[in-house]
Amino acid sequence: MWFYASLILLCGLIASTYLSVYYYDESVRYQSLYREAVERLNHLKTHMFINVLIDYGNGTEIWYNETEVPIGSSLLDVTRKVAKVDYQLFQYGAFVTAINGRGGDPGYYWMWYFWNSTSGKWEMGPVAADAYILHHGDTVSWVYEKASW
Amino acid sequence: MLGENYVLGKNIWMDNPSIYVMTISPKKISFIGIMTALCIVTNYMLIGVPNVKFMDLFVFVSGYTMGMLSGALVGVLTWLVYGTFNPYGFNLPTLAATCTGESIYGIMGGILSGRLDLKTDRLRFHEEFWKDNLILGVIGFLLTFIYDLFTNIVTALVFEIPLIACLVAGIPFALIHEVSNFTIFFLLGNVMINTIQKLCEVRRN
Repeated sequence: MWFYASLILLCGLIASTYLSVYYYDESVRYQSLYREAVERLNHLKTHMFINVLIDYGNGTEIWYNETEVPIGSSLLDVTRKVAKVDYQLFQYGAFVTAINGRGGDPGYYWMWYFWNSTSGKWEMGPVAADAYILHHGDTVSWVYEKASW
Repeated sequence: MLGENYVLGKNIWMDNPSIYVMTISPKKISFIGIMTALCIVTNYMLIGVPNVKFMDLFVFVSGYTMGMLSGALVGVLTWLVYGTFNPYGFNLPTLAATCTGESIYGIMGGILSGRLDLKTDRLRFHEEFWKDNLILGVIGFLLTFIYDLFTNIVTALVFEIPLIACLVAGIPFALIHEVSNFTIFFLLGNVMINTIQKLCEVRRN
């Protein structure tokens, strides 16, 4: 009788050990996920996501979606985050001369545009890249093209 | 248990006494074939239900009724087919581990056949039914625990996963496997062993 009871208890012990180890591991995992989520939410209080397109003018277009930058960042800041940017500072602001080594061809310049979600069109940037303050969810693009002026 | 009619150490080449072979009777070969087919069919039938398989019981019963070699062969042959043509993929080290692990059921069935003393006569069969079933259920649970532990360790080593993480991740599957095998061994083990033994007795008479 005791032998059979012991065998059943052994099976129960194995099953309950399995369950306790599994649920302990799950609780540790969910605590860690919760802490990560809280940290992420706190981070989002001070950061925003921007979508950036770089069109190299030779058929290469690269998107940097949901690039995370601090709130109040300028277009130049986000561009410097996703690419190597060469620029010169003038009295009206920064003038980008090369992105990732591409630039300097006669008559070609790096122009920037922002996506107007109301009209559904790209619109040319009205100010210099370092003067344009981005907002959460903005979509901007850099295009290497021959200037029309 | 049925006749131990395979011959160990039979010298067939008199010129070369160092060569020995092991022969298995046609009856056992047929039994191994039938049980292997049964295992494979039920495995594919239950492929959508992870870790719930009748195979482990069939391998154990094969070992119990026909000896540990037959049981181990049923386990290995089943996995050679099921592990090779498996929709979840093929992996040689895992296949080797499952073949080895599955043969444990057959080997333990063979070892326990002389020790368990399950009741075959009708009156005592009913008297001891629950006790015998319980023992078989516990055996099923413990053998499955060993099998799961062994295969999880091999999986961790093969796929270079940290051992503890692999064991913990495998707990839900192991638990389903062990509880389902407890239930299957508990409900069907004794009935199946008695049926096969009686069938063979009828044949013998």
